[in-house]
Amino acid sequence: MTAVEITAGDMAAALAAATGDESLLSAGISAATRLERDLCLDSLDLVALGALLRDRYGTAVDLVGYVAGLDIDEIIELTVGDVSDYVNRCRPTQRRAERPAEQPQ
Amino acid sequence: MSRFLIVTLPLTGHAHRAVAIADELSARGHEVAWCGPKSYFRPLLGPDATLFPTGTRLFRDQAGHGIAALKSLWQQYIIPMARFMLPTVNRAMLAYQPDMVVADQHALAGALVAHRHGLPWATLVTEAMELTHPLAALPRVDAWVRAQLASLCREAGVTDAGFDPLFSPYLLIAFTTPALTGEQPFPGHFVLVGPAMLERPGAFAWELLDPARRKVLITVGTMATGLAADFYQRAAEAVAPLAATVQAIAVGPADLLPDPPGNVLVVPSVPMLALLPRLDAVISHGGMNTVCETLAHGVPLVLAPIRHDQPVVASQVVRAGAGIRVPFSRVRPGQLREALVTILDDPSYRGAAMRIRNSFAAAGGAPAAAAHLESLVQVAR
Repeated sequence: MTAVEITAGDMAAALAAATGDESLLSAGISAATRLERDLCLDSLDLVALGALLRDRYGTAVDLVGYVAGLDIDEIIELTVGDVSDYVNRCRPTQRRAERPAEQPQ
Repeated sequence: MSRFLIVTLPLTGHAHRAVAIADELSARGHEVAWCGPKSYFRPLLGPDATLFPTGTRLFRDQAGHGIAALKSLWQQYIIPMARFMLPTVNRAMLAYQPDMVVADQHALAGALVAHRHGLPWATLVTEAMELTHPLAALPRVDAWVRAQLASLCREAGVTDAGFDPLFSPYLLIAFTTPALTGEQPFPGHFVLVGPAMLERPGAFAWELLDPARRKVLITVGTMATGLAADFYQRAAEAVAPLAATVQAIAVGPADLLPDPPGNVLVVPSVPMLALLPRLDAVISHGGMNTVCETLAHGVPLVLAPIRHDQPVVASQVVRAGAGIRVPFSRVRPGQLREALVTILDDPSYRGAAMRIRNSFAAAGGAPAAAAHLESLVQVAR
């Protein structure tokens, strides 16, 4: 059974929930949106996003560990699509329907 | 009497700490000489100071935030500045014949030249970027910084594998205390002396302060005014509804806040050390200088870090319980107001800031730093 892949829209929802910034839902976030340059995410935001992605998409998702493996330019250019691709790679057999309900803020 | 050559950067947070130490060394009968651009250091040091001028070099404005800012800090400032300063530091070394070099952690030319001449040197840690190794969490970014340093060292003819221009093997003086850094297994030659403070003189219309209201300073320091306008606008909106109980002082050019609310004074600069005893809270970007001066007065902070070591400083303050961190680019006025009201109303924040103040007071500041330099130079002679 393959998982339904998460999309830029799912990522926008995760980013809004992780940062508490609802405006990100309507910010036109796409796979090409860069986390640092376009969204001004900092290291704390990444930690919060990582915790949220793990809760939503499974304990195999370790965003902070993933970013720690990137070089300086890969981090500067890291996009929403890179993160959703990473999350999708982490959960090849998990069904989207199984994901837990969204956590209240 | 000993001779100290001080190599630092023409930036408030770096140079002012060195001046505080130099004043202390002079008071103990030592001689001090400086390396740096005349246009910055001559007004700061006065006409009688010994200064080996580097000339002035303009550096491009650095990138906004995050890892991109870190990259440009190294690539467009720290490394080119070291290259630019090397010949003058070398000349100063030969002409002045110092007994030791005192080098800011990011003024790398000082460490390189001292090492080349076999002279003892001390590192002044004026930022939070290196001391607690915050980049350990991003090993490949850390490796990139190391590669920049290694390449500069090779260029300067220093090839010893063990040499690190960021960390003196003789003496490292950091302007913080474990109340902020947390208890760390620092080597024995690291001394944490707390802030070394220097008043920045400036006129201030004290009569405009309302003794009946609580006072909040809003400042993003001397470096980031280009990014500040939007943040100042949101900060003004945050404090405007608190007019009955809060008066804010925003530091910056008047056009930063063209139409401020009635309870916000906009002033180009403040005599920070004279003003701090009257303040109840500070809203800041989290520059190490501003934060340490504020905490030295037991005043809690709302921190909106932008770049470089500011996120590190902010997380240290939050961990110590002396402030709240908010996102610089995204924080809404309501969220900023809530954070400000929390640090004003919940006494635990001031309590934590007072504990840091006490740790700073016990750490000794510039006199302690000067005493450590003196002991090192006596051993070395």
